[in-house]
Amino acid sequence: MAVQQAVGMANHPVVTIKLASTSDELMQCYMLRAAVFMGEQHCPYGEEFDGNDYTASHVIMYVDGEPAGSMRLRWFQSFCKFERCVVLRPFRGLGVHHEINAWCKEFARRKGYTKVYLHLQRRHMPMMEKEGFRRVDDRVFNFSDHEYYAVYCELEPVAAAVKLDTEPMVMNRPEDRLDVLGVLEKSAARGASNPHAPRVERRVN
Amino acid sequence: MNTIAQSIGGETITTKLAMKMEDSLHAFAVRAACFIGELDMPYSEEFDGHDFGATHVIAYVGDEPAGTVRVRWFQSFAMPERLAVIQRYRGHNIGQMLIERCRKLAEGRGCNMLYVQALPGDVKYWEKQGWRRLVSEEASSGVKRIVAMVKAVDPSKPLPAVEAPESIVLRSEPQLDSSGLPRGTASN
Repeated sequence: MAVQQAVGMANHPVVTIKLASTSDELMQCYMLRAAVFMGEQHCPYGEEFDGNDYTASHVIMYVDGEPAGSMRLRWFQSFCKFERCVVLRPFRGLGVHHEINAWCKEFARRKGYTKVYLHLQRRHMPMMEKEGFRRVDDRVFNFSDHEYYAVYCELEPVAAAVKLDTEPMVMNRPEDRLDVLGVLEKSAARGASNPHAPRVERRVN
Repeated sequence: MNTIAQSIGGETITTKLAMKMEDSLHAFAVRAACFIGELDMPYSEEFDGHDFGATHVIAYVGDEPAGTVRVRWFQSFAMPERLAVIQRYRGHNIGQMLIERCRKLAEGRGCNMLYVQALPGDVKYWEKQGWRRLVSEEASSGVKRIVAMVKAVDPSKPLPAVEAPESIVLRSEPQLDSSGLPRGTASN
């Protein structure tokens, strides 16, 4: 899956989705969230950037090359939690949120997850029902000035999911490009000179 | 941190220079909220590649980032730009405090002129704050999308009538090369 190029109808914009893997891409994720949550929904900075950004995976979506949407994923034992999903205002109405949702679901499946959990603003329930989400229970709670439901969705297990017996060097690849040769596999060509060992004990293969 | 005797709802308003990564993120988030969130600026125009050659000033209300301005430094002037104040904190002169902090900073560096590019609709605001048009309205030709305005760093040393031809001062800084731009994003 990795970098997804969805080229559909003639007028449909080019959508590219990837795991944020550089500080520039991470900055783009943060700034889109600031634009939507702080700028449009008046969320304070301290609530938007809540301390969990450095325990999460961040996904960035480009529409025609311009940063347009983002999602944060946190990994628990029995489910993946989708959070901080945004699409910038000029890119709404194109249906691109379905594409970032679908990408993130595939990403979680490949990591072996079979359940997605999220806190959904009440007004978005009809939209997410179409994507297979239903309520965990009938609790309604609120934070940052919105009302939320806890919702979840089952994911179909995938044969290629990462497990303990997955090829070790596949596990080392960038997580959104598990089917592409990773940088550490290329390093294997250098052999194991054991640079930590005292000079006399080093082997050059 | 430079504390100014002013507050909103019991929370003190302070300004400081961005010194750490997290401070810069505060400045960037405020700009994203105002320019991308409210005004629908594209990300690649807002974050134009000049952020790491500039000084960032941030205003806080209590611990909350409330406003920011970016200053770029040239030999003959300092240029405050990207002035932004979060919507709910407007109307408390935070913008003015940020510009004053820029002025003091420029003073400390021995700079004698501040230069801004204002929207035509904002010219009256800047004039009230003691700024003047770089080129008088009569002398400038045609309808302008932006108006160049200047102010002396030291109010007791007013600027000479004309500092530089508008065409020179308004020219944007040359880019090093196209790969240095945040455009295209996915590839850089």
